[in-house]
Amino acid sequence: MMDTLGSTSVKARRSTACTLTEPLWIKGLLIGLAVLFLAVFLILPLVVVFTEAFRKGTEVYFASITEPDAAAAIRLTLLTAGIAIPLNFVFGLAAAWAVSKFDFAGKSFLVTLIDLPFSVSPVISGLIYVLLFGLQGWLGPWLAAHDFKIIFAVPGIVLATIFVTFPFVARELIPLMQTQGSEEEVAARVLGASGWQTFWRVTLPNVKWALLYGVILCNARAMGEFGAVSVVSGHIRGLTNTIPLHVEILYNEYNSAGAFAMASLLTILTLVTLVLKSLIDWKSRVH
Amino acid sequence: MSIEVRNITKTFGNFVALKDVSFKVETGELVALLGPSGSGKTTLLRIIAGIDVPDEGNSAILIHDEDTSGTSFRERRVGFVFQHYALFRHMTIFENVAFGLRVRPRRLRPSEDVIHQKVLALLKLVQLDWLGDRYPSQLSGGQRQRVALARALAVEPSVLLLDEPFGSLDAQVRKELRRWLRRFHDELKITSVFVTHDQEEALEVADRVVLMNQSRIEQIGTPEEVYHHPANAFVYNFLGNVNLFHSRVEEGKVYLGDIPIDLPSEAAEDAKTALVFVRPHLLEIELQPNGSDHFRAKVEHIHAAGPVVRVDLITDWGDPVHVELSHERNRALGLKRDAEVFVIPKERKVFTDHSKPFGSERELP
Repeated sequence: MMDTLGSTSVKARRSTACTLTEPLWIKGLLIGLAVLFLAVFLILPLVVVFTEAFRKGTEVYFASITEPDAAAAIRLTLLTAGIAIPLNFVFGLAAAWAVSKFDFAGKSFLVTLIDLPFSVSPVISGLIYVLLFGLQGWLGPWLAAHDFKIIFAVPGIVLATIFVTFPFVARELIPLMQTQGSEEEVAARVLGASGWQTFWRVTLPNVKWALLYGVILCNARAMGEFGAVSVVSGHIRGLTNTIPLHVEILYNEYNSAGAFAMASLLTILTLVTLVLKSLIDWKSRVH
Repeated sequence: MSIEVRNITKTFGNFVALKDVSFKVETGELVALLGPSGSGKTTLLRIIAGIDVPDEGNSAILIHDEDTSGTSFRERRVGFVFQHYALFRHMTIFENVAFGLRVRPRRLRPSEDVIHQKVLALLKLVQLDWLGDRYPSQLSGGQRQRVALARALAVEPSVLLLDEPFGSLDAQVRKELRRWLRRFHDELKITSVFVTHDQEEALEVADRVVLMNQSRIEQIGTPEEVYHHPANAFVYNFLGNVNLFHSRVEEGKVYLGDIPIDLPSEAAEDAKTALVFVRPHLLEIELQPNGSDHFRAKVEHIHAAGPVVRVDLITDWGDPVHVELSHERNRALGLKRDAEVFVIPKERKVFTDHSKPFGSERELP
């Protein structure tokens, strides 16, 4: 009912607007410019990634993504994302819940803190970890004495990734949870639901699509992160190289087929992310 | 199940929402908490429900003569209907109503069959059994309101609390639903309290009305009592349209224009000023003085659309006056703009007690 009403009014507006629009050639010019821009800056690079990756044939392509160092990089990337995403899922949800459903002192400070990773250059955040945990850093001597290795090792990469991807889930949830308010939760409590029941049956289902959306963006960033990870990793082949770092190394060695093959993996990730993103958009609009 | 409220005080920072409020709702009564916005009535309702907690002190909420402090919602068994319904948007209407039963601890939870029958019975009670598999967003405001009521009743509450139950509905639906609520209450006989700022609604639906203003109770009584025997100027002013005149007290008399009025017996002896109230339908307009007490006024505007004719006048000392006439009377008088007329108050109410403050929009000088 609402939909039909909406579309008729849009149609009515469009027909009156027709007399007010630009001449055909201006329309054509503007549309053409937009298409040209998209083609040069978005579609062409996409095509180049795959043509370069397959330039030397499919055997070379599969060989370069299955050779031991590449496989190690893929494994490390998956491991990092596998640790960072569940943690940020929990952190983000808890932070968004606290910020949007409760009033407490220092709330705006917390919100600013959540946004910090977005406003700081990733290289700098990586550098801070080096200054903290590196051999010459604040905690370095203590860590070295207890045989903990964080910088130039997997824990550093995971920490840097968690930091950089921290805001995605929380940022996605806070505005939604704020508009939803906490009235439904209060209603659930008055009806006799416990705190956990309220969370699982009311709060979580109401934000599930936004949560999933946040997780997908978080994942894309976690797998693609270069700056922060580059500073803390030390670029040790087969040990501390993630996919983006491995792409850089291969490229610097003039192994462009290998570099583009690895890059194509990230590109596929991007495409999958985009598809999932639009699916979720569509799904959450249906609901 | 009765509800007793004892010495409730509630402050939010520097703002006092409730100041030492006490009253009792008898078993099976339907009571309205009536007052202007900001008078503390919703806060009081939320405190009765246990959603908000009163300030420390000797306060208590007793439901069926048992102190509820420290009890969980489950033990209180309160049905609460929210102003904006607060239906669970991701659940069907059926699941919304079933929620209170499904979240019970396993040993108290009814079987799936029992839940199904119970929910259907409740939906039938609110005449919405054909909407069970819809979502809240697909329902109209009035339907959502009734779903919220069914959901609150599903937990078999001992008392029912409704926060501005018809607040966000349009006038027509409001009128229908409030009559429906009255019949509904007569059928179920569940002790109920509802909050409203609409005096017509409170007077029409409630057994008793609790009038609230500026964090306190002004008067408690049946609709007839509070309408015909208002305890103070605020109550008289709040219940229905009224003309208000600020008058000076001279030698034991109050003057409305030139009309001398005796001070009420309970008036303070040293009162210097008084308020005279006259309801618009208790003023008569004459073209010639007819011997009764009267004052002179000039017609400013005549609103003839509606069941009565409303005439705006201005007295010769400059106060605006509103009068309501029947259409027949209006035709007989043949009133025109700027006509000089004589206004005869048939009944008036005098208050000298200025200590009772008004709502913020009507601050006394």
